[in-house]
Amino acid sequence: MANDARKRVLIVDDASLVRLYYRTTLENAGLVVGEALNGIEALEQLLTVRYDLLVVDVNMPQMDGITFVKSLRGKSAPMASTPVLMSSSEAHAMRIAAARAAGANFYIVKPLTQEALVQYALLLCGAPHG
Amino acid sequence: MTFTQAKRYYVERRVVERMTATGSDSFEDYFGRLRSDVYGEIEHFVNAFTVNETYFYREEHQLACLSSDLLPARLQMKPPGEPIRIWSVPCSTGEEPYSIAIWLLENWPLVDQHDIEIVGSDIDTNAVSAARAGMYVKRAFMRLPPYLLEKYFEPEQDDAWKIIDDLRQSVHFTTANIVDRTQTNAHGRFDVIFCRNVLIYFDETSRRRAAENLYENLFPGGFICLGHTESMSRISPLFDVARFADAIVYQRPPE
Amino acid sequence: MPLVRKPPGPPPTTAPASDLAAMLQLLAGGSDEERWSAARAAADVPDSVAALGEALARETSTRVRQAIFTSLARIATPQSVDVVRGYLRSDDAHARTDACDALIAMGEAAWPYLGTLLRDHDADVRALACGLVRNMPSEVAVPLFCELLNLEPDANVCAAAIDALAEIGGPEALPVLERCHERFRATPFLAFAITIAADRIRAQSASPRA
Repeated sequence: MANDARKRVLIVDDASLVRLYYRTTLENAGLVVGEALNGIEALEQLLTVRYDLLVVDVNMPQMDGITFVKSLRGKSAPMASTPVLMSSSEAHAMRIAAARAAGANFYIVKPLTQEALVQYALLLCGAPHG
Repeated sequence: MTFTQAKRYYVERRVVERMTATGSDSFEDYFGRLRSDVYGEIEHFVNAFTVNETYFYREEHQLACLSSDLLPARLQMKPPGEPIRIWSVPCSTGEEPYSIAIWLLENWPLVDQHDIEIVGSDIDTNAVSAARAGMYVKRAFMRLPPYLLEKYFEPEQDDAWKIIDDLRQSVHFTTANIVDRTQTNAHGRFDVIFCRNVLIYFDETSRRRAAENLYENLFPGGFICLGHTESMSRISPLFDVARFADAIVYQRPPE
Repeated sequence: MPLVRKPPGPPPTTAPASDLAAMLQLLAGGSDEERWSAARAAADVPDSVAALGEALARETSTRVRQAIFTSLARIATPQSVDVVRGYLRSDDAHARTDACDALIAMGEAAWPYLGTLLRDHDADVRALACGLVRNMPSEVAVPLFCELLNLEPDANVCAAAIDALAEIGGPEALPVLERCHERFRATPFLAFAITIAADRIRAQSASPRA
């Protein structure tokens, strides 16, 4: 794995079918995928494994996505600067603004299509377009 | 792992425990959760069958983390001269707190320069009495290097070994229920708490109460170590995640 | 031997407040440490729900808020459920998560309210309610999810219900999932989720249960 040049994406979402859908989609696009079911688990994983992109839900048990991104941005580099694609069912402008203010790089409203997920994921993690 | 007919009661008891812990009202309901691995139930189920399998030097990587990272980090934050306090809770029959004592005597170069107080507590008074007595059979030593067995234990009858008096007197044992705030508060604050394989068995409310109690039992910046299959991600957001070379541990945020 | 044996250490640093009035005063205006301690002690005083609700509304420390939610969850009366469920509508994601976790911790005390939350006018609240309902016994939760899926116009709320049914649903959910599939043919994620959920339910009901 040490020489694996493929980009790595961590999916942070408490819904198992969402994680499965994203995983299938992103793996088909040539990315390596990890999963965490809330913000705390994501922080644990990020301390052990490097990721090039985080796809983060908002509402999750114990630690929500906004609190997670705020906490992430306060950590040390390079972990702190990992790009975040926030994807949530919440479409209110105020809530999207909160995600941006916390440090999310991009926000898309669920449900996502495979095309949109791959397009944004490749763009944000700097992978060559397929 | 194979179970004979004689172990049937043991198996049933563990399954009932897990049904209670998950709020399952029927075996079918529980079996469904187990099959779909709801909230990592498979892992919890497996743990239920191994929870009392305690022995000396279990989870040695955490002991390594204690001496190489946690204690040095605590010393930087503590006023000089204050004792270092370590709590093993629940401590079952004492293998863990004694392991901590042995590990520090063997592996921590600064062990002579600081007062170290090790407290072991368990809700089970029988376990606490056994811990105080300090008698163990061979199985408890499966991970302890033989020269340490010779050094810190004396052979007794029937293949049993007793921990030497010096070491026995260096660990203080108490009875405590970690869900009960009055009981936990009475133990004061610690630098490091080992709380392995118990929080996952509690219901949601007890788990939150226990996490808040343990938070109060830590100095700001103090550490808590869970079992290697456990994660605060399913228990409480009160603690920070900290990663060291040998282990992931949790920290009460420094003030 | 350098290890020391001492009777258990220093006295507790957070002495719980002795009487209700003193406790409420600390909850309203103490230091972080005092508010946290008072919020925790309030769990043993059911009359403190109103004071906990007021404290929660102005509390800025996430740790103290957490303790207040835990105490409200422990009190678990209709009044404390009322306070907590109000935060499902909060614009602060942290507060919504705290509220959901507290309602789950309340267990049965929260159940009578969950059906209403599933019919809330706000789709975001309905989606959160799905996460609460899935913690109820499956014979209660599954019919609630089926009823919801028959009418639910919001794809994300359907997704939350389908995620739960994939885990707890039985054969009775299959026709409901099929109808939902028809309505959301144009939403690829739901088509995917329904297929997986239905496959899992079929696989489970095909194998005899012990």
